[in-house]
Amino acid sequence: MTDEDEAAFDEFLAARSTALLRTAILVCGASAVDAEDMVQSALEKVYRHWPRIRHDNPEAYARRVVVNGAISRARRRKVIREITFAQPPETPVESPDLGLREVLLAELRKLPARMRAVLVLRYWEDLSEAETAALLGCSVGTVKSQAARGLARVRARMENLEGASA
Amino acid sequence: MNVEEALRDAMAAQVAGVHASPYLGQSVRRRSRRATVRFRTAGAAVLTAAVAVGVPVAMTAQPGTDPVAGGLAGPGTGAGAGVAAPGTATPSETGSGDTIAVPEGVVPDVVGKSAGDVMTLLDEAGYTVRIVKVVTGDAPEGTVIAQMPAAGTAAPAGAAVMITIATTVVSTSDTAPDAQTSWTPQDLGDLGDGRTLGGVHVGYLPKDLEWGKWSGKDGFGTESYTTSWVEPGQEPGVYSIQLIVYRKEAASLLAKRLRGYAGQGARPVDVDGKRAYLVSLSEGGDRITDGGTRTITWTLASGVGIEVMMSPDYEAKLGRGAADRELRKIAAGVALDR
Repeated sequence: MTDEDEAAFDEFLAARSTALLRTAILVCGASAVDAEDMVQSALEKVYRHWPRIRHDNPEAYARRVVVNGAISRARRRKVIREITFAQPPETPVESPDLGLREVLLAELRKLPARMRAVLVLRYWEDLSEAETAALLGCSVGTVKSQAARGLARVRARMENLEGASA
Repeated sequence: MNVEEALRDAMAAQVAGVHASPYLGQSVRRRSRRATVRFRTAGAAVLTAAVAVGVPVAMTAQPGTDPVAGGLAGPGTGAGAGVAAPGTATPSETGSGDTIAVPEGVVPDVVGKSAGDVMTLLDEAGYTVRIVKVVTGDAPEGTVIAQMPAAGTAAPAGAAVMITIATTVVSTSDTAPDAQTSWTPQDLGDLGDGRTLGGVHVGYLPKDLEWGKWSGKDGFGTESYTTSWVEPGQEPGVYSIQLIVYRKEAASLLAKRLRGYAGQGARPVDVDGKRAYLVSLSEGGDRITDGGTRTITWTLASGVGIEVMMSPDYEAKLGRGAADRELRKIAAGVALDR
């Protein structure tokens, strides 16, 4: 690894690590501390192959490692159940939507890890169906059906809630 | 608000306050180096490394990807045979039963059993039990989560079987320096300056290094001998130069690995008239890879193979050119001890 490689890796981290960490949190449903640990181990892989991948879309590679790591970790540890989510401090407690957000996130965490990953990639990362499919190593059809089923479940929960409060 | 919007909004709120630590790069690099060190310093030093890092529980809790697990699988199977596979020690079908049949001379499957039972069992089978504890939330405390060699491996009575036991709490008494003395193997006893082991003498070492005060036998196949040299004051479990002597079965496995390097396009260098490979190796030692551990390895004499590794830290300190020169000088100085 040359000095230039090292410097480029630092630049890459500065630009992308927060986004990767946020995606990891959403996909694996873990706390920031847990997710940071996971992102570190994913980035270690990136670092190990850095001289080879740095000129070849390292962001896509890193995201793939992070998301796959997050999925397998979510499956393995069922962190979804074990870890309670902390509300971010800047969310005002009296926000009228607080209840809705919590409900949606709770529903999101209940989804199977891969389905949740599809929703996060499609609606948080704003990836296209094709990009999501490539990242997860599945077909576009699978992405479509997983997204539709995931959204349907979240929607049902949301309507239920709105129905109750109306 | 439609559901996509609502979800996007909820997700944004969820992670709005999250920022990656400015020390992330440092942590990643440190972790990368440590992983290598852990593998290279063989199984019994694993706890030392894990504890010294002071990691959150989660770090050691992933059997599939964890460098600790890799370290366990590595010395026995990976380093020798070039089939490194963290996960070779995952529970097999037979491990889930309550009774364990123990064919003579074959290591039983003990993964998933309680440590107490396993120690009795292995003891009765005539094996020397080595224990590594790993902090994990994945298995109940006191459960064996990995073993080396893998179940079904032929091993004569008296051979060492290393078991990894899940523990949930890092007790303060486990931290260095106690961990150093209790977990680093001292298989060969006091080697003095550490320069003579396995029937081989190391004539040259960089001046700033001293013996790492540990040695391992058969961690890299039967028979193998290993030790390391460190810069004074280095933390436990870390090495600057590590040397492995391969003999007998281990030597033939190394020879196979050397042929593999030729197959990957490596050009041999000359060490005292012998063909050596000076390459950067993956953690399992079987692949040549950028950013791997700088290693020089060759067959010293019939049935005697040598591998000298330089830690990525030490290499970075010297610079690649000087590092390679030092490795070649060390290699040239290695001779059969008469």
